[in-house]
This record gives sequence, structure tokens and C-alpha cells, in this order.
Amino acid sequence: MSKAGGGSGVKTKAARIIQAARAAGQTTLSEYDSKRVLKLYGVPTSKEVLVTSQTAARTAASKIGYPVVLKACSADATHKTELGLVAVGLGTGKELMEAFRLIRKRAGPDYDGAWLVQEMVSGQREVMIGMVRDAQFGPSVMFGLGGIFTEILQDVSFRVAPVRKRDALDMMAAIRAHRILDGVRGMKPVDRHVMAQAIMALGRIGLDFPEISEIDVNPMIIRGSRPVAVDGLIVLGE
Amino acid sequence: MTGIMENFFAPKSVAVIGASATTGKPGNVVIKNIRDNGFKGKLYLVNPRGGRIEGLAVCTSIDELPHGIDQAIVTLPAVAAPDTVRALGARGIPAIVLAASGFAEVDQVGEALQAELGAAIRESGVRVIGPNTTGHVSTPANFTSSFFPLGKVPGGHISYITQTGNFCGISLRHIMSAENFGVCRVVGLGNKADVEESELLDYLGDDPETHAILLYLESIKYPKRFHRVASRVTRKKPVILLKGGASDEGAAAAQAHTGSLAGNGRVVDGAMEQAGVTRIHKYSQLFHVAKALAAMPVPAGNRVSFLSPSGAFTVCMTDYCRAIGLEVPQLEEITCKRLQNFAPPFIRMRNPVDIFGSAGLVGYEKAYGDALDAVLSDRNIDAAVVIMMLTTESGIPGYDFLVKLARKHRAKPFYVTFMGQHEHNVAAKAYLEPRGVPCYMLVEEPFEVLSVLSRCRRSLGR
Repeated sequence: MSKAGGGSGVKTKAARIIQAARAAGQTTLSEYDSKRVLKLYGVPTSKEVLVTSQTAARTAASKIGYPVVLKACSADATHKTELGLVAVGLGTGKELMEAFRLIRKRAGPDYDGAWLVQEMVSGQREVMIGMVRDAQFGPSVMFGLGGIFTEILQDVSFRVAPVRKRDALDMMAAIRAHRILDGVRGMKPVDRHVMAQAIMALGRIGLDFPEISEIDVNPMIIRGSRPVAVDGLIVLGE
Repeated sequence: MTGIMENFFAPKSVAVIGASATTGKPGNVVIKNIRDNGFKGKLYLVNPRGGRIEGLAVCTSIDELPHGIDQAIVTLPAVAAPDTVRALGARGIPAIVLAASGFAEVDQVGEALQAELGAAIRESGVRVIGPNTTGHVSTPANFTSSFFPLGKVPGGHISYITQTGNFCGISLRHIMSAENFGVCRVVGLGNKADVEESELLDYLGDDPETHAILLYLESIKYPKRFHRVASRVTRKKPVILLKGGASDEGAAAAQAHTGSLAGNGRVVDGAMEQAGVTRIHKYSQLFHVAKALAAMPVPAGNRVSFLSPSGAFTVCMTDYCRAIGLEVPQLEEITCKRLQNFAPPFIRMRNPVDIFGSAGLVGYEKAYGDALDAVLSDRNIDAAVVIMMLTTESGIPGYDFLVKLARKHRAKPFYVTFMGQHEHNVAAKAYLEPRGVPCYMLVEEPFEVLSVLSRCRRSLGR
């Protein structure tokens, strides 16, 4: 099985994650589970550990290496940033513990989800990939500018699954801001092969799992030349 | 050519159901259209009153028709359609064109009628174009089912699939009277109760008579099938689509950003791009692009040169080219030298070619002719536009030099446009177009056509 995924083993493993979420009555996968599925299909994702205690968070951070990101992680927490449930750039164990207490407070007394300790991925450019089940064309994959610009500029392009490599490359070229992928202002050109593999992977997930209605991978931060998914959301349909 | 579509596009025998002796009625116009187009097959007429119409004996019912008729054109009112379809099916007629309107496009009663029609089609196993259509045209068979007065439709290799009743009517009349190019197969899909765009695109993709396909669609009945068929056909032939109503396609209820961004026709746009379909956004380009394709090859790329009698055009059209994805590259040194040979020394010859001084120096035909020959011979150039300046006072040139250059440079397209005295422009167009040189009345139009066709080239080469 190639690292790009798509083999039957990949599908079986992803199916287990999805079935567990459905059995628990979830309509979305948690960020952690979403990224496990994405990673199985070859989308580069940030290093991360799911923990349920403060002590475990600290151990995980030491293992990943500071600085880290701490997030509340449950299937319900789909607007983490808006709710203040994300702390980035935590450089020491002390900062991590402070962030932990603050997020727990914001999450409220009923919060029974877990915590996600992630490596801090740095880069100046953010892109987004996604999948939607179009009523006419079926699973369709999107590429566009990521982060806060996604909704403001709506600079995106779509292709219908299965997405071939040529289609994925065309999608990158089709956005107005495509030059951001080049070596601008001393930045390295984005590795278009890796980016294409990630785009193609979303098409395969869409074809493999009719029960997935939408996927957002936003943002993918360009670290050096390589895109890394630092957030992910898989939405389950009917 | 084999299969069911042959009954529509190359029928050997046709029956008009609802034939009329009254001039101007659909059931009469269709007979005249068939005759005017020189249809060589057998023509049968049905009308309960019998007698003779246009010199032909009339059957009083479908049951009186002989067996083995390929196609029926039905000009009866909508309410009669389901029963007529069943009767024609029972008579073994496999292909039917239904002209009547008053179905799902109108109201709920019409919707119910169309559902009944759908059942009649399925149960009798016939194939149907329409309802709610002016019909279709097939010039290789000297045939049309249109009830809009057409006269003899000129033949060619451009085919149209259109979701508008006007195409085998007023749009075709515009092509015939103003655009000087011929058509091959033209279909008005109507309400698409049966035959729809994907099946036709598939058929025309393999039709040796069809060299390019233009579509006007307001909906796509089977989007995935269309996507699959178009992906295949666009590698072989230009497929150009005007999609009406794209702005209405909203996003489905979305929980994620991707879903909310999928509205405004973005998925359709991406899907068509992926399938190699070249999109246009102006109805007039259905004619303008077709005219270019009928006469000249698809340009090898987007590198354009143009001859201009005015500095304003060299500036504005260069700007416009950039805005619509065309390049106006530097010419080869040898081309510049050649242009300089017959230009006033104070004008530096380059691309775009400022032709005014040369025309004054060596005369209109030599200046334009040699300059066009030079830029079409240039390896940096894929296509050219000639902006003519025609006024009585400056003298009207002969146009045969353009016709000769079109024959000499068969691999590279060039088009002519005008600025000056309108009656001379019209006369030049009337002379040049039948001789294979497309002309455009407004100066931006030939550049817009080249922009469309350079995108088309990318699909053909993929």
C-alpha cells in the first residue's frame, strides 16, 4: 500500500473510525478522528496526541516538543477558535498548564471531551481543501485559500471525484491567488505533488464513504514547501 | 452511422402528423421546410380530413400509414401527444419529434400531461425529441423537422445542441442571413422528455460530419453522464457551452465551509473545466465562435498579432487581449525587418502592427497583404486579426488578397474586423465570409473568439 493511501486496508481502518463515531451518535468526527482518517489516506497532518488529563498533556508536549498547540477536542467542538478553545504557541510546560486551565474553564463544567496536544506548525501561507457531496455531480473536491481568507475572498476551485493528478494541478492553477503557491518573497514554492496527493485523497474518501457529506481541511499551513493539515472536520450525512 | 439516432438525423421516410393545408400553420410550414431542404426520402401526411395537401395524398389516421417509417413529426396540440405517441409506437415508428408546447414548462396541468407523455414513451419504446421544440435540422440528410419557416439551410460541419425553441427558428435564421456559415446537426431539445444533451453529445462526438459542437443549456439532465461523455468528446472536437441560469444554483445546506462555497455554480464550473468543455458567457458567441470554427482551424495557442490602422486600437486591443487571456508577443526579428521594408522609417514596426503609414506608402492591399503574410509566417504567432479601415475617401481595396492568404496559411486562423464606414464594412463582410474569411463588425469580437478557441485548444491537446 502506498503512502498516498486508498488501499483496502486504509478503507477498513477508516471505516472503523467512522462506524465508532456513528455508533456514538455523532454527526461529525472529532478533529482528532477526522485527521486520523485524512492521514490514513495520505493527507499530511500535524503531529498530535489525544489526552484526557493535564498530566498526560504535559507528557505529550514533551514528546512532541515545544512550542505546542492545545485544543479542546470533541465531536461537538466544531467552532473551537470562535469559542476560545484553542491556544497556540505554548512554549513551556507552565504556559501549557495555564492554557489547559483557561480552556477547561471556557469549555464549561459540562465539558467531557478530550484535549489535543499538537505540534505548532508555522508558515506564512494557508490553503484549504475540502469535499462536498454535490446533488448533481456527486463527491466534489475543493481547493482554495485557507484560514480567515477562505470566506472573505472565496477564491476556490472545484473538481468532480475521482480527481486525477492533472485535475489537482489545474485546481491549484485555477484560483486567482495561485501565485501564492510560487516562490514569492523568499518563500519556497509549495510542493505541488504533495498538495495534489492531498487533494486527490479527499476525492477518494468521498467515493469510499457515501456517508460522509462534507470535509473541511482548513487550514493547511505551508511549512517550508510542504502543506500540513492543522485542522480537519469530517461531517457525516444521513 | 448506426443506431436509433439515425432515424432522427438520416431518415429515409418521414410522416407529418397534423399536416395542414393552411399557409403559416406549423403543420404546413414543416412540409414546406422539408421540401425546401431537398429531402430525398418519402414524405407521408396525416390529417383526419384526408384529401391532398401540397400535392400529396393525406392519410386520415396513423393506422393508414405504411410500416417501416423512420420518423414522425407531430404538430398536434399538447393534449393529443400521449395517445399519438402510443399510436405511432404501435405503428412501429421509432423516432418522434413533438413540437407542441403546454407541458411542464407551463403549469401543473402541463406537468401531469408530461408525466403521462413520459409513460407513453417508456411503454411504447419510441424515442422522442421535445416536446416544446421547433425541432431539429440535419443538413447531410437535407432534412429538418422545424415548423419555423427556414428555407434551405446551408450545410456545414458545425452542430448545435440547444435547450431553446428559438434555435431551429430565429437563431438559425440569424446564422443563415447574417453569419454566412453552414450547419450540420441542430437540435432544439425542448423539455427533454426523452432525448437529452448527453446522448446527443455522445452521438455527435462520433459523427464524422460534425467537426465542432456548441451547446446552449439551461439544465443538465444527467450531470455525471454528461461529465463522462464530455471528457471523451472534448479531446476530439471543440465542445463549447453557454450555460444559462448558472447564477441560480445555490449551495445545499452546509455544515462545513466547503459546502457553503459550493454554491453559485462553482461545482458545475469546475466539473465542466475538468471535462474539457469550453465555457462562453455570451449568446452571440454561439454564432461568432461557430463562424470562426467553420472557416478556419483552431489556433495552436493564445499568441496573437494584429494589424491596426490606429494607435488607439494598438493600445486598447493589447490591453483587452491581456484581460481575456491572449498574449501579444514580440515578433521574430526577420518579421520586423520585413515589415520595416515597406513602412515609413519613423514608425518602428512591431506587434501589434501599426499599418497606417505603410498603407499610405505602398497602398492598402500591399501593406495589409504583406504585413498579414509576415505575421502569419512568424513562429511566435498562433493567430492574427486584421482591423480594416474602410472609407470612400481613402479608397476601397479589393479583398481577394485576404482570401488568398487564408488559402496560403491553412494552419493559422485570422479574422477581419472594421472601423470606418458601415456600408463598406457590410459589403466587405458579404464578400469575404462566403470565401472563407470570418468577419466581425465590432473590434473586440475577433479577439474574444480567439480567447475562447485558445482555451478550446488546451482541451484538445490534453
